[in-house]
Order: sequence, then structure tokens, then C-alpha cells
Amino acid sequence: MRVNNVSLSYGGEPVLEGASLQVGSGQFVSLVGPSGSGKSSLLRAAMGLQKPFAGTVDLELPRSDVGILFQDDALLPWRTARQNVALGLRFRGMGKQPALKKADEWLARLGLEGFEDRYPRRLSGGQRKRVALAQVLALEPKLLLMDEPFASLDAIVRTKVIQDVVHLVEKERIAVLLVTHDLEEAISLSDVVYLLSQGPRARISQHYSIPIPRPRDLVRARLHPAYAPLLEKLWNDLSREVEGTPAEKSARAAA
Amino acid sequence: MSAFANTIMKPRYAILRQIVMLGIVLGLWELAGIYGYLNPLYMPRPSAIGVTLRDLFSDSKIWVHMQATFTAALLGLALGVLAGVVFGILAALVRVISELIEPIMLVLNAIPRVILAPLFLIWFGIGLGSKVALAFVLVAVVIFFNVFGSIRNIDRRLVERVITLGGGRWALIRQVYLPSVAASVLQNLKVSVGFAFTGAVVGEFVGSSRGLGYLIQFAQSSYNASLMMALVLLILIVVLIIFAIANQIEKYLMQWR
Repeated sequence: MRVNNVSLSYGGEPVLEGASLQVGSGQFVSLVGPSGSGKSSLLRAAMGLQKPFAGTVDLELPRSDVGILFQDDALLPWRTARQNVALGLRFRGMGKQPALKKADEWLARLGLEGFEDRYPRRLSGGQRKRVALAQVLALEPKLLLMDEPFASLDAIVRTKVIQDVVHLVEKERIAVLLVTHDLEEAISLSDVVYLLSQGPRARISQHYSIPIPRPRDLVRARLHPAYAPLLEKLWNDLSREVEGTPAEKSARAAA
Repeated sequence: MSAFANTIMKPRYAILRQIVMLGIVLGLWELAGIYGYLNPLYMPRPSAIGVTLRDLFSDSKIWVHMQATFTAALLGLALGVLAGVVFGILAALVRVISELIEPIMLVLNAIPRVILAPLFLIWFGIGLGSKVALAFVLVAVVIFFNVFGSIRNIDRRLVERVITLGGGRWALIRQVYLPSVAASVLQNLKVSVGFAFTGAVVGEFVGSSRGLGYLIQFAQSSYNASLMMALVLLILIVVLIIFAIANQIEKYLMQWR
């Protein structure tokens, strides 16, 4: 996937300006930036849900090979977990029985055996997130776009869900573009991290390679000797982006 | 004694307490009647009302009237739901249609719609038509606004989800729009049933030759308070039974909630 010089506006306000990044096949890339820097808009533009103001987003793949997970999962409340997961398969023309069978397999892979017939209302937040994941992964995407998909989960559930996602993504060689404001998460998960400056008119300032070997373990990655120096460096750079340079700061104060 | 009092005051015995209270009120009413504090012409005793109700059924003529009211109410309900759904969807999806229909519906919603009964009597005659029309108008307006609102306020996230999973227009209708519409209809089923019976009965006592409303009108003109109250009780029972059925349907079809 390639993002070329994309500018986006939100409600008429420019939020993102001239952003470029790329995600190679099987690569895990994170885009980290403060709120309001247009991270989510970028993913929406990639899926054609929003039109970029300028520039292009080239998925380099058919749209059907791209899956997307949003921050607030939106399962159909009137469909069971199984029916929700089968949804995308049915849209792709799979028969009802095979689709339901495959849905069951994916629910089992995500640890939801025995919950197939539950309606979303009767699932916990973590379980709903897993259903949403199964829904997307059942379509066997080659690229997965994620917009802070785990933000609403509590810390323990979140770590477990993320760990499961990392395993699956590594195993199936799925490329990922994760949008987040959690720097630690970005470093421990990614091969490459892009930093985004404060909006409006946010820019992608820099990118960093993360040399921690795979397969990754979310907790152990943080014990790798490269982790702490990277975190410190990225944190310093990110703080500068959020607060701005001393010159920008005084200019803002004057305005 | 205090142990008994504690037990009987528990929340789960609320129904029991209500029944006892109802019994006391009816008992006092009966006693007041027996000792001549109430004029039976205006306020017949509960037992007298009970006897009247029993006589209504022993004389099988009541079925003709019940059938007339049910036919009018259920026809009005079915047509009202159908029209409410169709116009609600059209108005929500097509701007021009909403511009034309919404003002009419707003006016119909603002006025007490039963005042249309005499007009419908002139238009559709003394038979079934005028009653169905009144029940129809009462139901259609409620359903229209709920369906209209449910589509207008549809969860954007659900729409985007279906699109990003590869669903087309038909998938959106089938997976998102139709279930939302069905939910809004089911949630208003009880209100609609109540309105349908209101329409049928009011239509009947404005002008008819049969039906429960007609019997009430007859009871009034013959100053028969006992018959009047028996009929009110009968309508109450009928509507409660239908409410219970509607409740079960709603519960079954809305399991996901």
C-alpha cells in the first residue's frame, strides 16, 4: 500500500497535509500521532469512505483483499456472532452453510467457541472485538487497516486480544497499517513507525525502523535492548511535534 | 405477625398486594351498593356488572359485535402499518417525498385524529369503511414517524461496516435498513394495537349498526350504566389479551435486544 502526498479535510478544515507512507507486503506499520491529526481520516480515505483533498491512496491490491477495523466495533445487533462473521463471506458469494461453518472456525480460532449463537448485546467488549476481528480475518485479507481498534478494551483484555492478533497476522503474513496514539504499543508491534505532527495541517514528520525480531511477544518485545532507547527517541520527537518548536510555540502564544 | 408482615411486603408479592387492594375496592363498592349509598342507575354494583357481562355472552349476539370491532381494528392496523412503513421509507430516502408528506403527517400528528370520525362517516358510510379509515389514520401516523426516524437515525457505523465487508446496496437494505424498520414497527406494535381499537370503537359510536362501540352508544341512549360498564370491562379484557400477544411477538422477534 502506498499513500502519496495525501491531504485531507474534515468538515471543511484541513487536517492532514501532504502525507506519504508505504506498507510493504507482510509488513506491520504504525502511524502514531496526537488526536485530531487526521489518522483515522487517512484510513477512511484508503477504503474509499472519504475523498482525499489532494494526493492518492494506492492500495496496490483489490479492495476485497483489504480488511478494516474501526475503533468502535459495529456488529449488526440483530445478527448472532456466527451470522456477523459469515456476513462478508456471504457478500462474496459463498453459500450459507459453508459461510457459517467457516465463521465457526474463525470464532474458534479467536477463542469464542460456544459463543456462536450469542447476539452482540450478550457479549463482553473484548468478545465483541474478537467477533469483529473474526469478521474481517475470515475474508483472508492481505492488508489489514486498524484504527485504534483496541482503545475501548481494558488493559488485560487488550493485551490478550492484541497478542492473538499479532500471532495471526504473523502466521498469515498479513500486512498491517495500525493507527494509534499509543507509542509503546506501536513500537512493540511494528516493523516501521511513522510519526504524525499535531493538526491542523498535520504532516508525517519521520519514520523509524524497529529492529526487534519476530515472532513478537507483546510483553517480551518491551524487554528487548532496542526498545527503551527507541521509545525515548520517539517520545522526544513526538513531544516536539505536539508542543512544536520553541519558535512555533511563541508564534502560537502571540496569535 | 411481624414476620408475616415482612414477608408480604417483599417486592415479589407486589402483584398479590395489588389484587388484595382491588378486592377491597370492589368489596367496598359492592357494600356501598347493597346499603343503598349508590344509585344503581348511575353506579351499578360490581356483581350486577358481572351478571350483565355474563348475559352478553349467553346471548350469542355479542359475537357479531366483537367480530365487527375486531375486523375494523385489525384491518386498520394492517393497512396503517403497511402505509406507515412504505411512506416512512420513501420519505426517509427520497427528499421530494419527505417534503410533501412530512407536513401532512405533522398536521395529522398535532390534531386529535379522532375528530376525523364524523368526516369519515360522511365519506365512507355507516359500514366497515369509516371505522377502518379511522383506525388506519391513527396507526399510520405513529408508524410513519417511527419508521422515518429509524431510517434517518440509522447507525452510520453499521452502514460503513457492511460496505467495507463488501456489501452492496441490496446487502445494506437487507442487513441494516429492513431490520431497523422491523424493530421500530415492533417497538410500536402495542401503541398501534391500542390506537387501532380506539379508532374502531370511536368510529362505531359515532355511527354504526354493530360493534362494541355501537353497543356502548346503545347503552348510553338507553341509560344502561350496567351494560356500559360491562362493555368497558370487555374491551379492557380484549385489549389486554391482544397486548399480551403483541408482547410475546415483540419478545420473540427482538431477542437480540
